[in-house]
Amino acid sequence: MRFLWISVRKDWSRVRRDPFSLASSLAIPLILAVMMSLVFGRGQAVPQGRLLVADEDDSLASNLLLGAFNRDPLGKMLVVEKVAQAGGRARINRGDGSALLIIPAGFQEAFLRNRPFQLQLFTNPAQRILPQIVQQSLSIMVDGAFYVEHVAGDQLRAFDTGHAPPDDLIASVSVSINHLAASLRRYLRPPAMDLETEVVADPGESKSFAATFLPSMIFMGLLFIANSMALDIWKERLMGTLRRLAVSPAPLGAFLAGRLIFVASVFALMALVGLAAARGLAGLPVASMPAAVMWLTFAGTALFLMVLVVALAAATARAANVMGNLIVFPLAMIGGCFFPFEWMPSWMARIGRLTPNGWAIIQFQAILSGEIDARKLAVAVAGLTAVSVVMFLVALRRLRSGFMI
Amino acid sequence: MIEVAQLRKSFGELTAVDGVSFTAGRGEIFGLLGPNGAGKTTIISCISGLVTPSSGHVRVDGHDAVRDGPAARRVLGVVPQEISLYEDLSAVENLAYWGGAQGMRQPALGERMRTVLELTGLEDRTREPVKRFSGGMKRRLNFACGIIHEPKVLLLDEPTVGVDPQSRVRLLELVRAQARDGACVLYTTHYMEEAASLCDRLAIVDHGRIIAAGTLAELRAMLAERDLLRLSGSFQAEAAKAALAHIDGIEVLQADAELLILALPEASRRLPAIFAALAAAGSEVRGTTLTQPSLESLFIKLTGKELRE
Repeated sequence: MRFLWISVRKDWSRVRRDPFSLASSLAIPLILAVMMSLVFGRGQAVPQGRLLVADEDDSLASNLLLGAFNRDPLGKMLVVEKVAQAGGRARINRGDGSALLIIPAGFQEAFLRNRPFQLQLFTNPAQRILPQIVQQSLSIMVDGAFYVEHVAGDQLRAFDTGHAPPDDLIASVSVSINHLAASLRRYLRPPAMDLETEVVADPGESKSFAATFLPSMIFMGLLFIANSMALDIWKERLMGTLRRLAVSPAPLGAFLAGRLIFVASVFALMALVGLAAARGLAGLPVASMPAAVMWLTFAGTALFLMVLVVALAAATARAANVMGNLIVFPLAMIGGCFFPFEWMPSWMARIGRLTPNGWAIIQFQAILSGEIDARKLAVAVAGLTAVSVVMFLVALRRLRSGFMI
Repeated sequence: MIEVAQLRKSFGELTAVDGVSFTAGRGEIFGLLGPNGAGKTTIISCISGLVTPSSGHVRVDGHDAVRDGPAARRVLGVVPQEISLYEDLSAVENLAYWGGAQGMRQPALGERMRTVLELTGLEDRTREPVKRFSGGMKRRLNFACGIIHEPKVLLLDEPTVGVDPQSRVRLLELVRAQARDGACVLYTTHYMEEAASLCDRLAIVDHGRIIAAGTLAELRAMLAERDLLRLSGSFQAEAAKAALAHIDGIEVLQADAELLILALPEASRRLPAIFAALAAAGSEVRGTTLTQPSLESLFIKLTGKELRE
């Protein structure tokens, strides 16, 4: 038992003397996290597109229509750019823009006279969401225009003089519309019917960048550190220190348990610092810091044992390195460490959630969002512990059965 | 303190140790001398419990190395051939770790650490990472870690390989000091002069077998005080052998197209007769080396090859 703590102290001393070798394992996840946060910013990801508009009417009505696209929330998603029709068609054909809207000459007159008119919308097939938003918005605006024309058509037609309207006309039309609104007030305010709305949040779509991406990055860091620390057993073998230990009375079980405690303490420290930084700097929501730290510690240690068993099974240090990478990288890719499950095709996400790290990430996200209760967490920790015990015994058996020779 | 009886170890088809037996007692330095690959390290590995023998018995201070491994290991100190240290740790940290592995506790450990650092001349570099040490200093620390717990039985596996002459002298003196203090030392080497100057008794090992054993004097007597004469040049081996057979007391140890090795008494006085016989047999001698009786000449006599081959 005493040797166990001597081993832990020795491992920490080695890290203290050469912290870079351990820290270098975090380079890839850190670089990815910084790059992604630069791309998406801290808050919720908002797609941005470009709406090309060929306004051949250039009237008050067409400008009001374009103004609607410039107001929130559409204004946050779309940049409206006026173009000539030919130029707009050429650009949308090149895929430069989300959609092209052509407002024909005579649009205002047709609208005010309640005559049919045709707006043309060309969408970019390479984009899926933004062109649909433009199409739906335009459809709503056209419907709205129909009702406005029916209710206030007479007042609006006063503007149809072909010249800029004088101030007294604007004032009288405004007063007239105000009277009209007052007469409709009893239908409009309060509304004739109550509408109760309940927003059922889709966690996949409502999560912030930090909540979506950082758990993946954190687990990527865990995997890489676990791999690096597992490969250290080969360094010890090549240094001859394992052989020297084997001819001493110190039990190999204490050595391995000491290594495990060291690894767990590294993960606990990393989790504490990493989560505090992610919460403070990137706004990662953490419902329970102790539970999150505990989970990362347990999950990281179990991943370490998994890679350690693989490293011990290898015939050479080089083979251990190759085998470790062959396991860690695909696991990271498909298990939600490089890309969150939300960004994957559904079939891949389904497989990824079944990988050890994929399963651990899902539990971790539930802990972060506070969606897991203490009982479920205890069951998950017990499961991890059981698997870890089995892998510990396998690793110990391999150490005792000739790994050092 | 070390009893090895009919020790045999095979790795698949390869028999690394083949029926080795010897004993070494308290205060004695017993040497295993042989070329690389002779089986010396495997013998040490069997004694230290790192490798399980295929057959035979090993006892260390009365404890069976296989059945009573932990008890045997408690009295053992091992200085491996490779430098088995944590190079990113300091000398003190290494000694504390290996002392802890031997079950030592403070304050005895601290006291002993100071002693061995002084013995090995490393007392001025105690806090420095080992990776900054010279090769000789690393060897000395490697030795210090092996004796930190004052073992009754000390196994040294070629501890002076790659060491500068100054460190080698110091290391050999440290080994003698361990024996003087009552430890039983088993020392493997392929350096003849080291074995000759250090060991009380020796076993010459080749191809996993002991081919000769005894004190240095006993081994030298096996050569019957004969010199070793090496002749290089161009020879017709069979004709040369036949021509030399007429000269009294000559034994041909090796004969091929370019080299003749002969064992004979008073070789320098008989050189003219040898050259004449070889010339008559159509041989041409271009170089001559005369060696007085030594372990090396004994090894060549026993195996027909040089030790460093």
